[in-house]
Amino acid sequence: MAAPLLEPARPATLRLAFAPDLASARAVSVAIRTFLAEQGVAEKELFSYELCISEASNNAVEYAEGYARNLRPVAEALFTPSQIELRVTDHTAGFDLPEKIAAPSPLTDRGRGLFLIQSVMDEVRYLRGTKENTLVMRKKRRAVPAPAAVTLDPFNPQSVEKYSQQLSESSAQMARMAEELKLRSETLSSVFRCCAELGRIDKVSASFEKRLLVDLVHLTSADWYVLRTLSADGRRLLVTAASEHDLASKVIDLPEAGGTPASIEASVAASLKAARFDNRESSDPHEPLRTVGPGGAGLVCPLHFGGTLVGTIAVGRRNGDFPLGRLQDEVIHAFAEFLAIQTLNLRRQKDEVRNLVVARELEIAQTIQQLLLPRTLPQLSGFSVAGGWQSAREVGGDFYDAIALDDQSLLLMIADVMGKGVPAALFATTMRGLLLGLAAQSSDPSQLMGGLNRLLYKELSSVSMFITAQIVHVDLKTRKLTAASAGHCPLHFVQQGRRSISTMQIKGLPLGVMPDTEYPHMTALMGTPAALLLYTDGLTDRRNPAGKTYGQTRLKTWLRLNAIPGRSATEVRDLLATELNRFRGDADMSDDQAFLILVEEGAGVARIVPAGRRRVRLRRGAFLFPTTA
Amino acid sequence: MKIENQGECLSISDIPELTAQNSASFRDEVQAALGASPGLIEINLSKTRFMDSSGLGALFALYRATAQRPGVILRLLNPVPEIEQLLELTQMQQLFEIVRR
Repeated sequence: MAAPLLEPARPATLRLAFAPDLASARAVSVAIRTFLAEQGVAEKELFSYELCISEASNNAVEYAEGYARNLRPVAEALFTPSQIELRVTDHTAGFDLPEKIAAPSPLTDRGRGLFLIQSVMDEVRYLRGTKENTLVMRKKRRAVPAPAAVTLDPFNPQSVEKYSQQLSESSAQMARMAEELKLRSETLSSVFRCCAELGRIDKVSASFEKRLLVDLVHLTSADWYVLRTLSADGRRLLVTAASEHDLASKVIDLPEAGGTPASIEASVAASLKAARFDNRESSDPHEPLRTVGPGGAGLVCPLHFGGTLVGTIAVGRRNGDFPLGRLQDEVIHAFAEFLAIQTLNLRRQKDEVRNLVVARELEIAQTIQQLLLPRTLPQLSGFSVAGGWQSAREVGGDFYDAIALDDQSLLLMIADVMGKGVPAALFATTMRGLLLGLAAQSSDPSQLMGGLNRLLYKELSSVSMFITAQIVHVDLKTRKLTAASAGHCPLHFVQQGRRSISTMQIKGLPLGVMPDTEYPHMTALMGTPAALLLYTDGLTDRRNPAGKTYGQTRLKTWLRLNAIPGRSATEVRDLLATELNRFRGDADMSDDQAFLILVEEGAGVARIVPAGRRRVRLRRGAFLFPTTA
Repeated sequence: MKIENQGECLSISDIPELTAQNSASFRDEVQAALGASPGLIEINLSKTRFMDSSGLGALFALYRATAQRPGVILRLLNPVPEIEQLLELTQMQQLFEIVRR
């Protein structure tokens, strides 16, 4: 009875990475010869295989240049009874392998190695990659029938022969189990190596997937791989890494909900189910995986974890006659899962780092903002000053200040730096410092504004920024207001002899627009009791949920009704803040806003409150009130 | 490896293998021993189990070194069948006298 042919589902494999020196190359050739002998390859064949591995390994060592001299080439032998495949992966610049190398002259010194390989093997291919190349050498063999399973019968006269057959089968099975164990342990060590690497580096390397995939290809004896990741919009699969350049070309669109996937990888991504493919059974010319060749076959696995799709991985061989086995499939699944988890972990880590950075920036912004606004405002005899501020962002460009010149006069200033954030805040602090310096020489708003423009023009124009500002000199004794404006919104106040609120609109270009420009001033006498409001346009431009702006008319009406005798500036300020928040409702803040109020309270002693030590705590969207007493 | 100078004959034997790893030292040692101008150089390959293209290269280097000396015979003694096939495949058997005994 003819024994049935037992063809292993996958080849017995030996894979050896070796140090790039000739002694190690030699040791590898001997080890592969021994491995093939263990598989039952006849002595007379072994010489040829040893020769091929030896030639290829020596080339891998001798032609490595530069940094590649530190990289370990890999030699592999894959055995099935019907075919032996040898592979050597090198890190050389590579070469063009001719279809058929002619026999070199016996009188030449070179070119025998590849000629010998081609003479001895049936098929020789050289797969060239960017950083490594693989020489694949195949030899078909006449399959040797393996012994059939036997039932042990001690009374059978041929029982010694059967014992021996069974023994040889058991040892073959043990060899397969040992191989399986080795593959699993190498999978684990590759995964651990990757984990260790991820743990060690501060800056997460984007190429960890690639290193993992090189291990995967070696472990499964695959020819090629393509790793795709899901685009940010979740609609396409982009190539992240591929074993060869021409596999990396196509972007794959994922189908709309209910649509038909146009490729194997898209179908795997849509279904989250792995799929095998074989180009010999498909004729779709648009299939991206056709690039691996007409005989290519392999496995496509989704990269997903907890229902989140990360991408896909396709791994396979160019020759479908020699497909990946069940164990290789398992290894690919394990790698796919690990890769998906690692990718998601990395994203989470990056998000955490980003949140920490945002929190730190917010902290810095708060510190800057505290420097921007005066901690205290001067309170003069019978008059009080209060300011409110609210920012659409963490650092605003609106700010104000009040400087007491003497017992009877003070300067009020409000400004809005075009642009927000830290650059605007830096200009704001500079401007406050300059104003303090200039106020020691002059108290005339026109001169002060002109001086500020001259000093700030160069810096502002070089970064294409400008500042709108308003400076008001208040003489409490004569009740005279003198104001100058640099493109700022108008001033509202109670004018002598009038019951309604007056508006003072003064001409003037914003600071930083023209190097030398005049800032005319306007004067007016304050009514009794006095009330004065300086503000930035964020206040009147504030919109309610219906989209209506607060506007000047509404502001003036509110001021007339609320800046009444007996109320301090702080009280009026609190009421205005409440009013503005009421008006805004749930609408988002679109701009910063600030205002400065001066009101007449009644008799009192002139006093200038020294700078306090209270820290101003900021809450986004809440009005910030410096201390007034 | 053993190198013996027996008057006219330089005899090299006990070569387990001739590969990229040892072919350079083999070539250098034998060439150094050539100084005595022997009439016969006999390389005993009976114990040589493996040879690769670098080993062939070392034999070729010896051929070249002796080619200029008229009357010198380069003999390969008792190569195993696999190595004899290797010499034939590369047509290098033309360069040497191959002897079995």
